[in-house]
Amino acid sequence: MSLLRRSLQVRTVAATVGFSAVALVLLGGFLSYSIGTGLFNTRLNQVLGESERAFIEVQNTFSAATASDEIALQTLVNSVVPNLETTGTAESRKVALLRSPGQSSALILQSPISADLSTSLFDEKLREQVRNSNGQLTYQSVALPSANGAVHPGLVVGAPITIPVAGDYEIYLVFDLVGEQQTLDFVQATLVVGGLITMLIIASISWFVTRRIVRPVQEVAQVAEEIAAGDLNRKLTEEGEDVIAQLARSFNRMTEALRTQIDKLSKVSTMQQRFVSDVSHELRTPLTTIKLAGDVIFSQRESLDGPAKRSAELMQDQIDRFQVLLNDLLEISRYDAGAVIADLEQHDLNGVVGMAIASIEPLAVSKGSKIEIELPNGPVEADMDSRRIERLLRNLLANAVEHGEGKPILVCVGADDKAVAVSVTDYGVGMSRAQLDRVFDRFWRADPARKRTTGGTGLGLAISLEDTNLHSGWLQVWAKPNEGASFRLTLPRKAGQVFTESPLALPPTTRPASLKRASSKKAEAVDE
Amino acid sequence: MAHKILVVDDDNALREMVGIVLQSGGFEVHYCDDGAGALAAFNASKPDLVLLDVMLPGKDGIEVCKEIRHVAGTPIIMLTAKSDADDVVRGLEAGADDYVVKPFDPVVLIARINARLRPLAAEATDLVRIGPLELDVTGHEVRRGSEKISLTPLEFNLLLTLALKPKQVFTREMLLETVWGYHYKADTRLVNVHVQRLRSKIEDDPDNPQIVTTVRGIGYKAGTLQ
Repeated sequence: MSLLRRSLQVRTVAATVGFSAVALVLLGGFLSYSIGTGLFNTRLNQVLGESERAFIEVQNTFSAATASDEIALQTLVNSVVPNLETTGTAESRKVALLRSPGQSSALILQSPISADLSTSLFDEKLREQVRNSNGQLTYQSVALPSANGAVHPGLVVGAPITIPVAGDYEIYLVFDLVGEQQTLDFVQATLVVGGLITMLIIASISWFVTRRIVRPVQEVAQVAEEIAAGDLNRKLTEEGEDVIAQLARSFNRMTEALRTQIDKLSKVSTMQQRFVSDVSHELRTPLTTIKLAGDVIFSQRESLDGPAKRSAELMQDQIDRFQVLLNDLLEISRYDAGAVIADLEQHDLNGVVGMAIASIEPLAVSKGSKIEIELPNGPVEADMDSRRIERLLRNLLANAVEHGEGKPILVCVGADDKAVAVSVTDYGVGMSRAQLDRVFDRFWRADPARKRTTGGTGLGLAISLEDTNLHSGWLQVWAKPNEGASFRLTLPRKAGQVFTESPLALPPTTRPASLKRASSKKAEAVDE
Repeated sequence: MAHKILVVDDDNALREMVGIVLQSGGFEVHYCDDGAGALAAFNASKPDLVLLDVMLPGKDGIEVCKEIRHVAGTPIIMLTAKSDADDVVRGLEAGADDYVVKPFDPVVLIARINARLRPLAAEATDLVRIGPLELDVTGHEVRRGSEKISLTPLEFNLLLTLALKPKQVFTREMLLETVWGYHYKADTRLVNVHVQRLRSKIEDDPDNPQIVTTVRGIGYKAGTLQ
């Protein structure tokens, strides 16, 4: 069944063969019937003619007979009637002479009947028809038991006959139609064999024809599949002028157009990436000079007067910020160019988290945020690029500090056998649903009106997301206005391993001990 | 005596600025503004260390690096704008000892320079053996039997570090700290490339090293071959 559903060709051939079979059976039936009828009628006419001649001859013989006593008549009957068996062209002709019932004549002749002939063939209905036929021939088809037990079709022809003195008799000739039956059997066998051969031929032809049509379609389907899989260089062979060739040509034109378009787009995209990368690189040499110069000035700021000293300090800060921005831009352009390869090694996530916290601690202290940590017992090991994961966590922590409004920050680490996770949660300004949707966008800031205090580049979360994808992990965020935000990073234990759930809840179920607010509401908006 | 440093960079402003920083750090500074003249400037000034920009007009920094390595083992620090590109590995393979990514901190630059100029902490022993090699610590010489093997100071330090603690396995991070003077995470390619260069000079079959062996997943150690 599945083959029928799957293969257009098999389905077409099956349908063709099915319909031709019905047609052939009908045709064969009709042929067989008309040949059978024709054979029978021919034979019937012959039989009737033969019978008529025989009966007339017998009647004439009896009518001309002068015998009047029983013995002479019986002798006559015995000599004439059995003779009918031997005369005639039919191979097998049998004869019976039966006395019609209901006669007053006292003279009763013995009825000669051919051997092997049962009188049951001549049923009462036939005999009555014969008696009432006024000399006409009466016939009936019968089944003749034959010597080997088979039944042959036969014909019984009967006529009334009058024997002088003895009275009314009926004479019957029984013809065996086995010859005709054999002919018909042969014809039918021939028809069946011919029909089967025709079916085979039809099946082959339809297979061949559908193949001619289905093959190119199959080829188109296969090539389309490969193109869909990304191989835009596949082409169909364009042969001839028929509809298939036209299909191939249109198809090739379509892929060509598609390829050109994609090439154009990717060229634009590559150029753009190259541009970002080149600009970032070109900026580095002058930035180096500016940085060195700034450093010299900054190191001597104490000898400058008020405004100049402050300018030196501001310049120093902004050069650093410029440098961070340039690095982030370069990092993003590396991701865009697909040039980033993860340096995966097994590391203890606890250790990486610890290092990230240590480097953010001074900032947190300056903002008045206490960082609380919930670590599982024992190491939490997973394959990771520790440099990137630490940077990612530093970024999440810096964001938490910046938006945490001096409230505590909760860092949780969790693990199960398939994945490890770390979540960073603040209880500050939080975000709305609309803000959540854009949180990983480049250069997007939750609130443009808010003053920037920690000087993030706006690329941090975009890079974090790329770093996460590089590890085949998840970076998810929960947030609610004025309740805070929680970012959860989940990484597979082993590179390439698939996990379906994170070991940590988002947002975390526990709250920092130092946070004196008991309400722990459900996640309202979770975004990946 | 002040160490002499040759700065090879085509950017006038940066070259001058680096010069100012180095001079205020107590170094004697010589300049060269293109790749083609770099070797001549090197031969003329005989510097103790070369700061070499990778992208130079005429002849690029990689080529210059090879030329200098050909005549001397003087420490070379590359200045590069692309930390991720092949430039770094090519530069290291050409013989550069270390690299600094633009834009760099003056403090970092001076720290990197000092790390390269500082001799390895004096050891009590004068002669150290590693495999079939003999290291003359004071003379900074390596001999296999009577044959002298020429190593750069960095390669010598690398080999000596391994040779002094023959039972110890050194991680790349440990080597970065001991030999390169990095106290924080740095590019482990530095170690990989220089171990390869070292092996190509001291091993009979660098593909099947016997003197500096790799400990899979950890780092390197001195081979047990005697």
